[in-house]
Amino acid sequence: MIAVSTSAQEIAGRLGPAAIPQATHDRIPTFWVPKDRVVALLRSLKEEVEQPYKMLYDLSAIDERMRAHRDGQPASDFTVVYHLLSFGRNEYLRIKVALTEGRLSLPSITSIWPAANWYEREVWDMFGIVFDGHPHLRRILMPASWVGHPLRKEHPARATEMGPYQLSEDKEAAEQEALRFRPEEFGMRREHDGSDFMFLNVGPQHPGTHGVLRIALQLDGEEIVDAVAQIGFHHRGAEKMGERQSWHSYIPYTDRIDYLGGVLNNLAYLTTVEMLAGIEVPPRAQVVRVMLSELFRIISHLVWYGTFAQDLGQMSPVFFTFNDRERAFGIIEAITGARMHPAWFRIGGLAADLPRGWDKMIRDFIKYLPPRLIEYDRTIMRNRIFKARTQGVGAFTTDEAIEWGVTGPNLRACGFEWDFRKKQPYSGYDQFEFDIPTAKNGDCYDRAIVRVEEMRQSLRIIGQCVKHMPEGPYQSDHHLATPPVKDRTMHDIETLITHFLNVSWGPVMPVGEALGAIEAAKGNNGYYLVSDGSTVSYRTRIRTPSFAHIQTLPLLCRGQMIPDLVVTLGSLDFVLADVDR
Amino acid sequence: MQWSLTKPDVTGLTATPDPESFEQTVRRSVILSRLEDLVQWGRKNSMWPFNFGLSCCYVEMATSITSKFDVSRFGAEVIRGTPREADLMVIAGTVFLKMAPIVQRLYEQMMEPRWVISMGSCANSGGMYDIYSVVQGVDKFLPVDVYVPGCPPRPEAFLEGLLLLRNVVGTERRPLSWVVGPQETVRVPLPSMRDLLRPSRQKMTVLREPDSV
Amino acid sequence: MTWPLVVYFVFVVVLVAAVIGVSYVLGQRHSEPATGEPYEGGIVSEGSARVRFSVRYALVAMFFVVFDLEAVFLFAWAGAARELGWPGYWAIVVFVATLVAALIYIWRAGALDWTSKPRRPR
Repeated sequence: MIAVSTSAQEIAGRLGPAAIPQATHDRIPTFWVPKDRVVALLRSLKEEVEQPYKMLYDLSAIDERMRAHRDGQPASDFTVVYHLLSFGRNEYLRIKVALTEGRLSLPSITSIWPAANWYEREVWDMFGIVFDGHPHLRRILMPASWVGHPLRKEHPARATEMGPYQLSEDKEAAEQEALRFRPEEFGMRREHDGSDFMFLNVGPQHPGTHGVLRIALQLDGEEIVDAVAQIGFHHRGAEKMGERQSWHSYIPYTDRIDYLGGVLNNLAYLTTVEMLAGIEVPPRAQVVRVMLSELFRIISHLVWYGTFAQDLGQMSPVFFTFNDRERAFGIIEAITGARMHPAWFRIGGLAADLPRGWDKMIRDFIKYLPPRLIEYDRTIMRNRIFKARTQGVGAFTTDEAIEWGVTGPNLRACGFEWDFRKKQPYSGYDQFEFDIPTAKNGDCYDRAIVRVEEMRQSLRIIGQCVKHMPEGPYQSDHHLATPPVKDRTMHDIETLITHFLNVSWGPVMPVGEALGAIEAAKGNNGYYLVSDGSTVSYRTRIRTPSFAHIQTLPLLCRGQMIPDLVVTLGSLDFVLADVDR
Repeated sequence: MQWSLTKPDVTGLTATPDPESFEQTVRRSVILSRLEDLVQWGRKNSMWPFNFGLSCCYVEMATSITSKFDVSRFGAEVIRGTPREADLMVIAGTVFLKMAPIVQRLYEQMMEPRWVISMGSCANSGGMYDIYSVVQGVDKFLPVDVYVPGCPPRPEAFLEGLLLLRNVVGTERRPLSWVVGPQETVRVPLPSMRDLLRPSRQKMTVLREPDSV
Repeated sequence: MTWPLVVYFVFVVVLVAAVIGVSYVLGQRHSEPATGEPYEGGIVSEGSARVRFSVRYALVAMFFVVFDLEAVFLFAWAGAARELGWPGYWAIVVFVATLVAALIYIWRAGALDWTSKPRRPR
């Protein structure tokens, strides 16, 4: 076996003392690199090293100006953070670049990874950092008329600090004018060979876009020549909200990032917080977390299944899948108290123990769902029209997928067997037995096959959870676990004080940063949290799978017809809150 | 499928019904009503929602259209993709700053009579998102008829909002013609459900423990 | 003798006028800035719909006319098939064969393809 040099050796070999390492809570190799060397370094990391870092996992920034504890990190007003992922090494890598106020620019890396396009636009929108050489650097999440960069520390967070909202006729007209699609801005021609192109909005309000997404199409007859996706219509400022909520009270906001995923989002966020705090979650809490996460994975896939069939014209399956979803919600509601947004996981474990009688509910569900899945197989997956409309449509290869940052079932449909539950296990997943479904061609049909099979594997995992549920505490004893177990609160003054402070003011997480990522229902969902030793997160960066998936849209839909576009959108399975946060 | 035929037991029953008077027959087959009442009844029982969902609440709205909650009982399952054909716009989800002009435009493109239900905390008042990119309530720029609280409201809560709106629609007087007649919409002022339900809620002192299902 | 027809005609005209007239007059109206504009997902549209369409629409229309007239001729021949006998039959076969040859030509020349890029085969 060839000895693969570590990333540290690679970077030291290329940059020598110019690269400064940093220790982080998540043990991901982190290096500070000077601005003028970073593009060359990234290119060599992608193309030249053994087992290269083929995927640009995330590109974001941190406003460091108000940070008190930087201990040994190079001076920086704004830091641009690159996260790379190497599948061969099964490892992330973090590259940071320090920028000073007044010279907030650095070269763009869109020539290395085309996927960096939208990430850099978002950093420009949120922080005001200019990327030289970016083909089209304009706002992505905020409206074009917005003044200011929201994630900067001086930008107001609250809407109530910014005056009541008024929508006069002039403002309405101005905003609509700003939203009008101008083909020249994207280098699109208006006519070709004597016939004109038609520019059509698959607008923010459209039943086929599954949310408020705008796609501007350049049409030659009925064929799509080019498409431009515009997002930002669902931007709820979750990252800025993280800087105002305590580590504990931020949990409900995570529920609403992937609003079909419920508890899966809590798990992603808490994996990182527990990494920062150094909390070991007790086994019972881990297994319950796995059980509810897999149940929510099934719930999310059931919504996808019904709406995907509906996109293709099958009106009935959505009623059936939503009925199955109601059964699952009955279980979730009995255990957590809420349907779609439980916010039930806590720092260190769960909010409460499982109620008596939970195992009968789960067993009934495990018996109930497989025959229904077989019935859907018959009506949906083996339907001739379904197959004719999805096979060969909207396909990408594994290399294209990795290039664009695609993860989750979309990547597995291309034939690449990569599931973060197996490759980087968290919350005890390494103790469960389950298979990773893959397919061959990466087209819409294969993505459907992968998701249906994932539902069956999730049922298998839930069955194992029921059979082997360990006894024990549902919340850790660690002093940062919030809310702490209440048993001793009434007896010990120390526990009472900690409980009170943790619940009212919030737990104080140690200084540091960490990236925790899980295999969410749609792909890899990662939370990069920076703590400044306070009850509030200093920077909450949420890396969502759907942001990368929507960016592949122009690649997929060139040359398709409009009905194929609807099928492709449905097969990508994105949620707009996941895209815009 | 197993089935069998049974004959009803008719011994002791008279075969001929009582002879009906002429009035009773007429009353059973003819409805006499005023034009306005008929129009209100028609509007009330066939409110067509607009296929417009912003955020998470839309999934609960879609759930209320499916079989378990079945909004079709109230004639509202005809979801229309274009505002020209829709009566009811349910603002299901957060009203983002970037979406506000679009929501306004869609509202303007709806034809009279039109109603607005604000569904969910975010549409009612901004909800838990007091943030730079969210409008604090859709009533900042749209006239709302019914507010449905919840985050997200259960499908049953949405259906209750729809029923309240139906009551409004069934009792309000809208102008029959834009050419002649009074031109204002007259409706009974709506009480707050919170006030109406307070006495019964105050009596609920014993709640079920969540320790078992 | 024709007065029922006249009555019917008048009745039709009166009925249509009544339906259109009453529905014009009934109902509320409002006229806000966006009310009269075309609906396109809530956003202003770019460009008009009166564009120069791609030529394949015209080609399809033309081929339709040609093959539709072929069908008309076939109907005409079918009506008189017995009287025309075998010579008529061979004449129509020659006619159809010519058009089939034309069809094969346009099929292979790609004039019937609706998109420029065929789907990636499975």
